[in-house]
Amino acid sequence: MKHLLLLALAALLAVAPASAAELTVEAPPDNDGLNLDLSWEEANDPAGWGVLRTETGSDDWTLLKVLTGDARSLSDKVTTDVWEHPPAESYDYQLVALRTVPDLADVEDEAAAVLAAGSVAATATGKPKAAKLRTGMKSKNYGPLLMLLIIIAVGVMMQKFAADVRSGKEVFIRRIPGIDAIEEGIGRATEMGKPILYVPGIDELQDIQTIASMLILGQVSQKVAEYQSDIIVSCCIPIVREVSDEVVRAGYYQAGYPDAYNPRNTRFISSEQFAFCAGTNGIIYREQPATNIYLGRFFAESLILAETGFVNKSIQIAGTAEATQLPFFIAACDYTLIGEELFAVSAYLSRDPRLVSSLKASDWVKLFVVICLLVGTLLTTFGFPIINTLFSISGG
Amino acid sequence: MRSTVPLVLTFLVGLFMVGEYFIPHWGYHVITQLLLEWGLILAAAAFLLGLFNLIQVNLPKVLNREEDWGYKLVMLISLAGTLVVGFWGNTGRLNPGEAYKWLFDFVFVPLNATMFALLAFYIASAAFRAFRARNLEATVLLVAAIIVMIARVPLGESLPLVGEKLPQFMNWIMDVPNIAARRAIFIGAALGAVSTGLRVILGIERSHLGAD
Repeated sequence: MKHLLLLALAALLAVAPASAAELTVEAPPDNDGLNLDLSWEEANDPAGWGVLRTETGSDDWTLLKVLTGDARSLSDKVTTDVWEHPPAESYDYQLVALRTVPDLADVEDEAAAVLAAGSVAATATGKPKAAKLRTGMKSKNYGPLLMLLIIIAVGVMMQKFAADVRSGKEVFIRRIPGIDAIEEGIGRATEMGKPILYVPGIDELQDIQTIASMLILGQVSQKVAEYQSDIIVSCCIPIVREVSDEVVRAGYYQAGYPDAYNPRNTRFISSEQFAFCAGTNGIIYREQPATNIYLGRFFAESLILAETGFVNKSIQIAGTAEATQLPFFIAACDYTLIGEELFAVSAYLSRDPRLVSSLKASDWVKLFVVICLLVGTLLTTFGFPIINTLFSISGG
Repeated sequence: MRSTVPLVLTFLVGLFMVGEYFIPHWGYHVITQLLLEWGLILAAAAFLLGLFNLIQVNLPKVLNREEDWGYKLVMLISLAGTLVVGFWGNTGRLNPGEAYKWLFDFVFVPLNATMFALLAFYIASAAFRAFRARNLEATVLLVAAIIVMIARVPLGESLPLVGEKLPQFMNWIMDVPNIAARRAIFIGAALGAVSTGLRVILGIERSHLGAD
């Protein structure tokens, strides 16, 4: 009798579904709105898991994946061709705990085969963000809206300050020694008969720091041309070299010395970080520039470059918004432009009213941000996190 | 005309790409991804121009036996050798035993590591200069650096009297004044980036467009 009971219990366990798993389906915050992340917990380890999906209201189940081992999550992209198969409003999922992992070779209906090889441990429904967005912005997320307002405010203020400057109103810009030193450095190089080395960072062209560096390079090359000196531009990214070439050429052209430009001085070294670093160090050792200007985005090579320049006794001016590299530049360079100063160089050097106006606009927004920080800190301390909610840009 | 077309393109594409942040619709995202892919293709094509530039800059110096021409020769031979071996190995060039893989593992990786290792010595020499207590700011820097350095090594915790408190104080330095300064830099840089972006998109900044 006891054996019979045990046998019945074993048979029951073999066909009974695994204990109910808790399946959660969430739309991750940072993607194109087409993904749903599935995760689940399960006490009894089955032989594997089968994950099935269908559009809500349909019985046409599709097998997404058969998982074995310790897998407890899956990221599902609901469609790979949004034009042919736009995302549905919501999707139903079935998590199948497999008694045995089925052989799906030559199986026509994979979903049915997986269901036959196990039992449904959990079901859940998920809505991809794309579907939500298709029906309009429903979330109360004011962060992006606030950001849009700030951008519009910067644009409007730029126009206003530019009009003020054009009408003769004096605009105060605080002195930035690092930027003043650029012209001094160019003068020093001219007196010594040595070139100026310009390094626009090692990041891609689309990085805002590289873009800012290209804008500064235009002003610097114009000054270099006026002083009848030489500038060597050392580039890590080929497309940055192409843009640098054009920018330096324009600088010489605007200074009135288009023939003085030597395109061989705008060099692509290597797209590998340390190979580029070695090549640029070689330029510093062999061509002994009197002034080294490092403006852009830098990583571990920053200190190697700056220390080599220090050994070479060059005047060194650096600028980056990369907080981790600023201490290295501050320790090894004569002047360092910190964060926002990098973005102010172009306007500071040119004194163009329209460019100067953008500095003033940034300053006013900065004041607004500081006030928000102070008010937000106070309100949050007293239990009213309204500013946090307003500025939140995640989720939605 | 030479600068008008790029200005108009910059304005339209720039505005469209900024719009993605405010219109997180999948259809919009598909188009921005397509534009970014075009950018990647352009950047990849520029590698060919980079190769020509390397040859254009270095080959004449070798042919004319200019100063330090030997270095340029080594560079050009390495460039040609790696190219040939890479093409020769085709898709299997990264398989164990292949010449390209050998070059990568036994030439490139050690050279890269050597350059990176130099950083340790440069940090020591830069720190020596930066930590000289010439004025109040430098002294504050020196004291903060000493506390952080000592608290980070096992020896710091075993110091009598202050050993237990040292890691807590180090954490306070890293989490409060350090983070506060970094956030100030981030906020300033972000606003600077917004105004730089606007200047380029609105065509106020034009020095990147080259000579007319």
